[in-house]
Amino acid sequence: MLEVREKEIWILLTDRELDTAAAADFLRDERAGGIDLFLGTTRRWTGDRETDELEYEAYGSMAIEEMRRLADIAFARWPLVSVVVHHRIGVVSATESSVIVGASSPHRSDAFEATRFLIDTLKENIPIWKRERFADGHTEWVENR
Amino acid sequence: MTPITPTVTARTSSDSIYTPAISVRVLLFSVLRERLGTPEIEVQIDSGASTADLVRSLTEAYPEIRSYANVMRLAVNERYVDDVVELVDGDEVALITPVSGG
Repeated sequence: MLEVREKEIWILLTDRELDTAAAADFLRDERAGGIDLFLGTTRRWTGDRETDELEYEAYGSMAIEEMRRLADIAFARWPLVSVVVHHRIGVVSATESSVIVGASSPHRSDAFEATRFLIDTLKENIPIWKRERFADGHTEWVENR
Repeated sequence: MTPITPTVTARTSSDSIYTPAISVRVLLFSVLRERLGTPEIEVQIDSGASTADLVRSLTEAYPEIRSYANVMRLAVNERYVDDVVELVDGDEVALITPVSGG
């Protein structure tokens, strides 16, 4: 497990189940009027392909740095109170969360925009990869080219 | 069983036997780690060699890497490097194939 936990930023890379309530509670603050959380979960169906689980691998030391950098950029762009960026590694079964990102802000539009930015940019940049295990047993590395 | 770290020797264009060699660690993940069967390759390169020299040598030594050379990014010491930079002894170079976090 790799972690950065400060007063307003909580970055986590773990092989344990992600804790939605803990992430939300971290974002609560008297200065915040809105909290936005995004959960990325393993989806079973893509067209007619059935996925049993996703397995995540990370370049951990770089991933945690890049996740922290994302949070810093979000703080620079929006008036946020706090930010979380949590990613799970290892096996994530259907309906389980692989990622939780979120932000709190005085007014809700900033939390919405920052959260969207966090997940969209995480998916482009963070050195984490997933392998899909299908119901028929075969596996495939997912490549977002 | 003790894993054996493969070693690759990469030469710059000068190719002099008197050029001091430096050592860099190349980190592999996901599909490259699986196809090469190792998470790490130790590479000897000439002092002054660049990331471009390193990639050229790796693509010559490993067809699996050649197939990803045009879509992978490099990270040197845990920072993305999208321009050609000179490498120094002990550098850690990660081959970042298309990521799929989240």
